[in-house]
Amino acid sequence: MPIVSVEGVSKRYGPVEVLDGVDFSFRAGEITGLVGENGAGKSTLIKILAGAETPSSGSVVLGGAPLPGTTGAVIDAGLSVIYQELTDVPDMSLLDNVLLGNLSSSRGVTRRADNRRRAQAGLQRVGLGHLDLRTPIRELTISQRQLAEIARCLVRDTTVLILDEPTSALPERDVETLLAVVRTLRDEGIAILYVTHHLDELFDIADRVVVLRDGNLVGDQPIAQWDEASLVRAMLAKELGQAYPWRARPVGAPVLVTTDVVARGVRGSSVHVDAGEVVGLVGLAGSGRTELMKAIAGVESGVSGTVVVDGQDVRTGSIPAARAAGVIYVPEDRKGEGLVLDASVRSNIAMGDYGPVSRRGVLRGAAMTRRAQDIATKYDVKLGSVHQDIGKLSGGNQQKVIVGRVSEMAPRVVLFDDPTRGVDVGAKSGIYDHVFTLAESGSAVVVCSSDTDEVLAVADRVYVLATGRIVGEFTRSQFDREKILHLAAGGSAASERSA
Amino acid sequence: MSTATTASPWRYQVERAFSSNIAPIVAALLIVSVALSFMSDVFLTSSNITNIVTQSAVVGIAAVGATFVIITSGIDLSVGSNIALAGFLGALWAHHSDSGLLGIAGVMGIAIVVGAFNGFSVAWLGLAPFIVTLAVMGMARGLTLQFSQGESVYELPSTLNWLGSANFAGLKVSAIVTIVLFVLGHLLLSRTTFGHRVYAVGGNADAARLAGINVKRVVFSTYVIAAVCAGIAAIVLVGRLDSATPNAATGTELQVIAAVVIGGTSLFGGKGSMIGTLVGVLLIGVINNGLTLLNVSSFWVQFVQGALIFLAVLLDSFNTGRLKRAATS
Repeated sequence: MPIVSVEGVSKRYGPVEVLDGVDFSFRAGEITGLVGENGAGKSTLIKILAGAETPSSGSVVLGGAPLPGTTGAVIDAGLSVIYQELTDVPDMSLLDNVLLGNLSSSRGVTRRADNRRRAQAGLQRVGLGHLDLRTPIRELTISQRQLAEIARCLVRDTTVLILDEPTSALPERDVETLLAVVRTLRDEGIAILYVTHHLDELFDIADRVVVLRDGNLVGDQPIAQWDEASLVRAMLAKELGQAYPWRARPVGAPVLVTTDVVARGVRGSSVHVDAGEVVGLVGLAGSGRTELMKAIAGVESGVSGTVVVDGQDVRTGSIPAARAAGVIYVPEDRKGEGLVLDASVRSNIAMGDYGPVSRRGVLRGAAMTRRAQDIATKYDVKLGSVHQDIGKLSGGNQQKVIVGRVSEMAPRVVLFDDPTRGVDVGAKSGIYDHVFTLAESGSAVVVCSSDTDEVLAVADRVYVLATGRIVGEFTRSQFDREKILHLAAGGSAASERSA
Repeated sequence: MSTATTASPWRYQVERAFSSNIAPIVAALLIVSVALSFMSDVFLTSSNITNIVTQSAVVGIAAVGATFVIITSGIDLSVGSNIALAGFLGALWAHHSDSGLLGIAGVMGIAIVVGAFNGFSVAWLGLAPFIVTLAVMGMARGLTLQFSQGESVYELPSTLNWLGSANFAGLKVSAIVTIVLFVLGHLLLSRTTFGHRVYAVGGNADAARLAGINVKRVVFSTYVIAAVCAGIAAIVLVGRLDSATPNAATGTELQVIAAVVIGGTSLFGGKGSMIGTLVGVLLIGVINNGLTLLNVSSFWVQFVQGALIFLAVLLDSFNTGRLKRAATS
């Protein structure tokens, strides 16, 4: 008898269908794994189960009754979600956090002995019974805080627990502790939906695995019937490669060479990128690909190791020093870190690159306009006028402005962090077309994306990253998607099963 | 941003003028002026208009500097106290040494030290501008009262008084200086790479940093510019009164911030113009003047200023809210 049944659930945001008739159920005393690429619809499905979103059509049944419509009522009905990011209150004690919003009281006065007993019981079940309840939760390790969040769900008499990427923030040695707790809870009869990118964890604990791809349920089998190869195939099967205008390019001498770069989230990375080369960084969220780019471009401070551009040492931890050496980082968060949205296109193009449009600190308005118009034409930006607010352009056109701004600086090294995020498919190939042109002019280009297929489609060579380390390097002729994804998911090359 | 060129289609100019907060404030200035000219015979006389400009000089000069600070999404509450401290100490030194130039140097030196303290605390220590300048406001006023022991300084050298009291070509020098500073401020803000950096930092500090702009240095500079303006305002004030009192410029920060915000500069940063600030200063000056001419209690003047700030902030948040929604759609 399933405790939760998802029945024909679809979800549409405007014209975009995020979930399309998803049907599956999960049972008490069972761990159901849920996998899928970024954008497959996992987060939307979790939001629907948590009561934060309502499906456009279809329904969810929880314990024989329709799922309540608000998050609070869903929790009361016994379904709790543990999200990727901690949701505790760092300055409150362990006790207060475990009983957050759930202190028992008598006429407004808390019943201290009763509360302590309940918190203690919850913590016992996740193996934290030995901790002092008065400890501020900020002083615990991340994994202890994560377990405390699970304890918080348990004291609310949870019967269904959804874990969304619970290990993504954990150091490796703590993953096993978490998995052991999850197993114990399953044996106590709780229904668990375990969402993850890490396939090895599923083979460790899941009883059954369901796979989402592009909003559709494409697989639902007991774990024994899956192997890594079939799981990866189910997640990814789609045709790509022709969508990107990759072309062979002559590759010159090394431009960027890093040696043992260590920074927050990056552990000893040595890479090289040559003139005219497009190098991809492949890795899951949290693998360190963004952090490595930021370390190279001087955005992060506290970087050790060396970054050499054209044979010259570049001082780390300084954006101006990196820029002076011709190293430019293009951030993934275009709206948050790339542009001033309510300034004009012209103004955004001039920002930080005043050389061509000023003389002795005085801006030349006509030159600013002309330069902006030239870039808009050359990079196919569709706009009414360069005086328009850039926030009113589409994501693809905003990104073309950024690519244009960067390319016109004649940079030596450009690091594009997820350059097509939030950009529609048509604009993607246009953006990469300009990226290739940039490489052809002799710049060294580094690209990463949340979409691994995209990186494989555009790169001449890739580095595979996992937990801050470079775990593999492949040139275009050796690209093997399953092998690369297997490495990125933390598997070792030796245990790779041939497909 | 405001450096419109002939190449731009008028459509975007019009759109920009309407989406900025300047249009309603210019309308308000015209309506209030027309109304006052009917209600009072004195209002439109040349001596009264000169009076308005002269009375607005101190607030106006300080508002030029505050515009830079507020565009970076900062705030300077210490401007009134800074005027009092710098003005008092400079006047005291001028009085004892009988050297006007020493007095002027003293005023500017003290003012800049205070501004540099603000700027350093905000830019490099990362403290909240509101709190830093609130603290400095208290410290500067306290120091002024301590040094003065509550006594004013009189009998100042004429060199020190010149800026605030002299006439040139039939106009008050203070009014001319105010206009010149507005023009300089406008050019600095709209025609230089520095001004462009100020807007960029206020519009999106993260994007500015990644574009290679030294955000900390820009923020620091705006507080120093505000302090330089406060110093000039202090010299004008001392000269006009031919004395320095420890309670000078009390509450001036409120009028300065009101003028800037009413003039369409967003407290959220990234948007604003010197022309808007000028209109804001004039509107406050005209309303103050009108209330005096109509024999309204000065207590109401404060109330009206407060209400104006409220309306300006409401308009600002309405406008930025609308822009934000447009950006995410």
